[in-house]
Amino acid sequence: MPTFRLNGTRLLEVDIAGESFRALNGSMVAYTGQVQFKKQGATAGGGGLFGAAKRKLSGESVSLMDCTGQGTVYIANEAQEINLIELAGETLFVEASNLVALSSGVQTEVKFNGLRGMTTGQGLATTAASGNGTLAITTDGPAIVLEVAPGQPLCVDPQAYVAHKGQLQQDFIQDVNWRTAIGQGSGESFQLRFQGQGIVYIQPAERQGGIDL
Amino acid sequence: MATLEKLNSKMVAAQINHGEQVFARKGAMLSYTGEVNFIPSTTGGASIGGFVGRIVAGENVPLMIAQGQGNVLFGHGGYQVKIIQLDGANSLTVEADKLLIYDGSLTAGTQFLAQGGGVRALAQGQMTGQGLCTTVLSGVGNAVVMSHGPVFEIPIGGGEVAVDPQAYIGHVGAVDVKLDMNVSWRDAVGKGSGEAFQLKMTGNGTVYVQASERKIK
Repeated sequence: MPTFRLNGTRLLEVDIAGESFRALNGSMVAYTGQVQFKKQGATAGGGGLFGAAKRKLSGESVSLMDCTGQGTVYIANEAQEINLIELAGETLFVEASNLVALSSGVQTEVKFNGLRGMTTGQGLATTAASGNGTLAITTDGPAIVLEVAPGQPLCVDPQAYVAHKGQLQQDFIQDVNWRTAIGQGSGESFQLRFQGQGIVYIQPAERQGGIDL
Repeated sequence: MATLEKLNSKMVAAQINHGEQVFARKGAMLSYTGEVNFIPSTTGGASIGGFVGRIVAGENVPLMIAQGQGNVLFGHGGYQVKIIQLDGANSLTVEADKLLIYDGSLTAGTQFLAQGGGVRALAQGQMTGQGLCTTVLSGVGNAVVMSHGPVFEIPIGGGEVAVDPQAYIGHVGAVDVKLDMNVSWRDAVGKGSGEAFQLKMTGNGTVYVQASERKIK
């Protein structure tokens, strides 16, 4: 299995010896040895043609490339911080825009969020990564890891949300009132609420997009 | 030789004494104390031939000369800075847009990065968006480069090191650089991996890489 290693906080080094791993299209900054890069086809994200159609519809299209060969590949994206997450049979839900690399034992699939994504700029769908292996996600600034315990729900800003894993139920809270309607809102009209047992990753920056409330 | 000091990850201070000069990217001065003059420089310390080279190569990031007596703070665009010391034995090849300042004791020149040079190199530079004509600094002194995110050093020696032209900052040492095009029908139909162009480096030295593919303006 490829070895994922961080050099500082913003550069990922992956050692491969004949294996392959997947990385965000165009995220290679350097490599040593013999490595080939090939963009994955539309159906490569799993789920066959139906999966491809889902990704197209939802805009949750992570454009990934296969990196195969022998050597060390250096991966980075927009000087964002990179975090490694080990998966051992669990499922991690992550925003496609925050996914930068994954080892071969990890599968990805698109899950619909419903309408809430459109209003929050978070996208209509989220990516579910499952299997055994390592996942590298990017965050704008150092990642904040928050634990959710039963009876202690956690609310996060959808624009700062990056990923979550564990036994969590997710719902969407709106706090829209007459102030919001006349443009005097607090900027915190939508929240994502997590209940159950698990871990939520957020970033100390709010991504742009969606309806500004 | 002016004394350089890195104040934090994004600022560098230069102590200039009488008779010393520091070449800097135009407008990169943040503040200064003492009696310092800033004079626009068209040639960047290169000869007339080098100047023409700079124009042809598209390497003409405007420069200025700081001279006098005082302490000058330099920084640009919130990019991170790194001081590279040259001992005279090896020269530094660096992208002009990633060069913040360099000591007047260094000699500057322009070089075509791609093998063969000429029109073909220019065409290649256009395609990769890198310019592919770089500034070469030689002599004894310091140079300061800028990067989006921190600078990473990858040693070259033995095997080949390939670098994304957009992440490439510069390199030091006896290094051979070759532009490798790996363009297939996939790129032509917009289905490329985004890694069609690479700078292949062999020899002995160090290459400096930024953790981003953003172009510094």
